[in-house]
Amino acid sequence: MKGKELLFSALRHEPLTTLPWVPFTGVHAGFLAGFKADEVYTDADKLYTALLRVHDLYKPDGMPVIFDLQVEAEILGCELQWSDEAPPAVKTHCLAETEQIPTKLPEATDGRLPLILSVMESLTKAIGERTALYGLLCGPFTLAAHLRGTNLFMDMVLDEDYVHRLLDYTTAVAVRMADLYLSVGMDVIAAVDPLVSQISPEHFRSFLKEPYSRLFTHIRQAGVKREVYSSFFVCGNATNQIKPMCETAPDCISIDENVDMATAKAVTDRYNITLQGNIPLTTVMLFGSQQDNMKYVVDLHDALDHRNLVIAPGCDLPYATPVENVVAVEQAVHQTAMVREMIKNYNSPELEFNGELPDYEHLEKPLVEVFTLDSDTCAACTYMKAAAMDGKAHFGDAIEVVEYKYSVAENIARVRKMGVEKLPSIYINGKLKFSSIIPSKKALIEEVEACLR
Amino acid sequence: MSLLLEISGKLQIGKAEEVKNLVQEALDAGFKPKEVLEDGLLSGMNIIGEKFKNNEVYVPEVLIAARAMNFGMETLKPYLVEADVKEKGTAVLGTVKGDLHDIGKNMVRMMMEGKGIKVIDLGVDVPAEKFVAAANENKADLICCSALLTTTMMEMKNVVAAVEKEGLRARVKIMVGGAPVTQSFCDRIGADLYAGDATSAAEVALAALK
Repeated sequence: MKGKELLFSALRHEPLTTLPWVPFTGVHAGFLAGFKADEVYTDADKLYTALLRVHDLYKPDGMPVIFDLQVEAEILGCELQWSDEAPPAVKTHCLAETEQIPTKLPEATDGRLPLILSVMESLTKAIGERTALYGLLCGPFTLAAHLRGTNLFMDMVLDEDYVHRLLDYTTAVAVRMADLYLSVGMDVIAAVDPLVSQISPEHFRSFLKEPYSRLFTHIRQAGVKREVYSSFFVCGNATNQIKPMCETAPDCISIDENVDMATAKAVTDRYNITLQGNIPLTTVMLFGSQQDNMKYVVDLHDALDHRNLVIAPGCDLPYATPVENVVAVEQAVHQTAMVREMIKNYNSPELEFNGELPDYEHLEKPLVEVFTLDSDTCAACTYMKAAAMDGKAHFGDAIEVVEYKYSVAENIARVRKMGVEKLPSIYINGKLKFSSIIPSKKALIEEVEACLR
Repeated sequence: MSLLLEISGKLQIGKAEEVKNLVQEALDAGFKPKEVLEDGLLSGMNIIGEKFKNNEVYVPEVLIAARAMNFGMETLKPYLVEADVKEKGTAVLGTVKGDLHDIGKNMVRMMMEGKGIKVIDLGVDVPAEKFVAAANENKADLICCSALLTTTMMEMKNVVAAVEKEGLRARVKIMVGGAPVTQSFCDRIGADLYAGDATSAAEVALAALK
């Protein structure tokens, strides 16, 4: 089954055997392709290149094109502060000093929309057949906070009528953005509204129930012509907001590690809404090991009913998330049984390395050892092994290439003995040369030649 | 006592003008300024802080309560000065360089003020040197750094280094917090204190000042 079909199955609430996987690779896409965050979000060619890299390495069933909640605010007059390793942030709030409600709605020619829409269009053509594409828009509440600043929270108590009018406007902006993204082939429109977790369920119902119901109804109506879905992203401890969010009837809700998946799923299942989440961004994906990442996913997989479930990071991946961690997550989602076994073996105290490591100091010819999760199923591992085989094709019998798959128990013991920390990796003559990032043919040949001298 | 309870109650529902008037009424009735502060205003903020921590109230409710406390403080302040009631310590607070998020930082300020701590709020996008300069200038006991991004939280390490360079390490404690920050990150960069939410930040700060 194609990834897109698998994800659609989840969004159609059908029973699943394999779970779909949606990596939120916003600025991390740039990291993967060697571009800074501001480059990838201001240059269509770089963004497109980076997203194809995401698609190749992480084998997503669905993926976002851009994860930038500031696109609308920039168009509407807020200044942004750019950064090398994070999405831009709103620096000035254009409605901070006025209670006037703007009327302008974004046009396809405004701000960075020409860039975004052109990449969406190209990506739809290139991979849209097999992978679902997410168009992410800034949710009406967070957009209102971008425009108004933190005064918005005080306004909710002191001037309710103003907040209703402002949210009516930001919802019209969201509807327009949804239309623009749908017009270039996006399959899922995700309203990302992190600040929703900061208001009470009562305030949610009073201020946001009608706007969100309107937005999701609009997206559902677009789904009459072709299959499209809506998703509602929240960040932070939104445990108490899940129920009111369900009442607005999105197809899917996405949560981070601040909400317990089982608790949230008990609520979303009652409304027959798909739940997406929630691998912890910092403790697991950024700072954890590959084993931590695999374990988190396998635990989610084993603890939850698979109907109405999508595995995803809690939110936008940090820029420098180790590539091998995302690779490990993908394996754990798509090859769960194999990865469950890997974790079991890894944790087994009985597993010892009984063989002998090569005598690296006295080898007859250069020895290229490729350590992979499993090159038959893991895309990054396939590419890493292919790089080594390119070397083999170049040098012929002058070098030896061996692959050790982590899916084989005795290789786990070898990996431990060798001190290999990241998979996939290439060691040459017992020394780590390439880790996670796949080398070019030239880089690999140079490393081997250095050993031949 | 019922008057002080009433101050606390009105503060919790954000009735700023009423709090202001009740503070004056309490002072006129002979309550000591310190009592009005501790058992009226700060008591109300403590309850709000606890409810915030337990997800019973949210950002708007805290902001509106803090506003009511400020209204009350306007009236009370001259009396506190006259009675020589001192703050429980001074904290310099800001969101670190490169980070513009201010909601969490503002919540920490309100909760700390609600514990009777003087807070010098440096705003957002604050460079390490500015934290140090403000700590020196205000003879602060604490430097509190907030960050919402995994990229900007690394800046907290520079604050620790700047404090060390200035020779303030023994006198000033460094607290870190914000969505991606954890106790282990705090330990790793050599900061002194970590808090997972605004209410805990105020509690941890108060404990460190004792």
